[in-house]
Amino acid sequence: MAKRLSDALAGGTSRRGFLARTSGWLLATTSGAAALAAGEEDAEAYHFCGHIYTTASCPHPTGIPRVDMHGYPLRARDGKPVDDLGRPIDRSGHPLDEQGHRLTDPDGRPLPRAPRTRICQDGIPDRYGFPTQIDGSWYRCCGGKVRRLMDCCAYHRTRINGDTALTGYCYGGRRVFCVMYFQTQVPC
Amino acid sequence: MLSATATILLATAFAAGVTGAWSPCGFSVVETIGSRRAQVGGRTVAASCATFALGALTGGAVTFTSLAAIGMLAAGGRDATLVAVVVVILALTALGELLGMRVFPQIRRQVPEPWRRTLALPLATGLYGVLLGFGFTTYVLTLAVWALAGIALASGSPVTGLLIGLGFGAGRALPVALMAPRYATLGRRLELAMAERPVLLRRLRLADGALLAAVAVAFVASGSTSAAQRPQLVATDGTDPSRAGSLLAYERVDHSAAVLVDGDAIAQRPADNVAIGGRHIATRVGTTLTVQDRQSGATVAQLDAPNATQLAVSDRWLVWRADRPGGGDRLWALPLPIAQAMPAAGVARVVAGAKRRAAIDRPALSGDHLAYAATTRGSSAIVIANLATQQRRRALATRGGQLSQPALDGGRLLYVQSSFCSQRLRVVRTRTLRNPRTLLRIGSSARRDEAHEHGYSTQGSEPSRCPSGTPGRTDVLLWTTALAGRVAYVTLLRPGGAGAVPSARIVRVGF
Repeated sequence: MAKRLSDALAGGTSRRGFLARTSGWLLATTSGAAALAAGEEDAEAYHFCGHIYTTASCPHPTGIPRVDMHGYPLRARDGKPVDDLGRPIDRSGHPLDEQGHRLTDPDGRPLPRAPRTRICQDGIPDRYGFPTQIDGSWYRCCGGKVRRLMDCCAYHRTRINGDTALTGYCYGGRRVFCVMYFQTQVPC
Repeated sequence: MLSATATILLATAFAAGVTGAWSPCGFSVVETIGSRRAQVGGRTVAASCATFALGALTGGAVTFTSLAAIGMLAAGGRDATLVAVVVVILALTALGELLGMRVFPQIRRQVPEPWRRTLALPLATGLYGVLLGFGFTTYVLTLAVWALAGIALASGSPVTGLLIGLGFGAGRALPVALMAPRYATLGRRLELAMAERPVLLRRLRLADGALLAAVAVAFVASGSTSAAQRPQLVATDGTDPSRAGSLLAYERVDHSAAVLVDGDAIAQRPADNVAIGGRHIATRVGTTLTVQDRQSGATVAQLDAPNATQLAVSDRWLVWRADRPGGGDRLWALPLPIAQAMPAAGVARVVAGAKRRAAIDRPALSGDHLAYAATTRGSSAIVIANLATQQRRRALATRGGQLSQPALDGGRLLYVQSSFCSQRLRVVRTRTLRNPRTLLRIGSSARRDEAHEHGYSTQGSEPSRCPSGTPGRTDVLLWTTALAGRVAYVTLLRPGGAGAVPSARIVRVGF
């Protein structure tokens, strides 16, 4: 991907080789969740809209790494908040059925709450043992709404895929460990 | 008590071990021990037989438990495809045995002969026993040995592996223990028969083949390659089990009655909640909690406890859960027995949920020890507290999942561990809290998506996927538990929702 884009950027210049190498380096250091320039056809090559590089998703209770503005998990298909077990929940954290009614135990009490932790800031440190944070992000148009593509960053040379991590939108020496997104309500 | 599958598996392993007596090493060991009686005496011969048996059992246990452990790492067990593959292999192996096919692959190696000359006899035979118990370090006389290795690997259950290993080791040890001490008489006669009557080996291999076929049938019937016991239904309309001695208590889901089961005797009494422990039975009717002696029926304590919903009782304590003002739950504890003149409510104290707003599950008691699960927004933990000393420890804790529904008995902690992939009923020793054993696993109750958006590649979605072999989604929750020795009880709850009434049943799992 980075090579193809750098070729396009450098095309038609007299210093093609130098520019290709330079732009390739630039792209390789900035392409985590989202690259600086790419068309929609590029986005469709990866596992969710707007994500244009190979870094894998952060582990998410329902699968697709959709989160709210604070990094808590949301169900991708309808944006409903879910707990760490992937169950839709109400404002107080009690699990709901698919119709939005509280599930109850034999005593008629709501089923107990399960933990609900932030995908990047809590989940990755617990599972992988090193601190993470969200640094920068990029916005793209997906499904008619503006989507914020977020890199989960760590001082870690290896990304969740198991190979070399890239800089992406991480700062201060951190690199992209995994990716997620926040879907805004802004039409595009 | 062993399940039918475990019994057949044990018999198969034993028969395979006995068949090994026809190997060059099998004959050699009998002769090595038996022929030395005149020189070393009967005690040394007996000691040598014992060390051989010990070595064979150890070797068998090491080999087959290791294979099962490898299988466990590769997530063997209840996968339907795996069961089908193992059944096909078993069927082919059984057919091979029944037809008396040549054993393939064969291991053309023997135990080191110099040991019998250079080492003390009990030591040499002990080491021979280990090598023969390993199963694959010397000649293999039956295809069943290979089949058993496959079963251990596919089971992913170290208990199943241990069962096979001990059966195989015992089978290898029996002919030696039978023949070597009486080598001059019975031993020589049997050795001659083994050597000159091939029909004996043929019949033994027929038995091996029949047993392998029986194992295949048992696997098909149980849908599992593990010899672990399957859940057995205890109550079709029950929740919140507890057990003390031979008595099992639970509540009807509609709270119409508490049910007490002792063998074939079933009794009911009106109660919203019931718990038994030690010599006591505790019930809740409305807001009144009552503790009675199970034998005499005498009331030990009675008090008013508004909002109480769950109970636990032991010889020395009554604990109940109640709502906490401002949200969350609290656990209250009352020491037993209390003086008649003393108001019970005044003696009770809060033992959990006093400081933090947490959802607390049904409490569990064993003597002075209280176990409860407390879940906050950020984490979930099981706490074990000594009510006499007021010391407590977070026995288990997790973020990104849930620990719930503990039960305590005999130094073991039973609990439910849930993640977005599955729900597991697990048991662990409270002393070490390491290597928990999964007794039952069902799917998660959450609906998962494909981990990639429609029309997009799957590349990059791997971290959110569940491991292969994860059971499918279910509406059922692993709910309240009870533990009595090596029998675990768990409620399978289908929660209530919009217009739906909760339903629950109780199953038991031996381990």
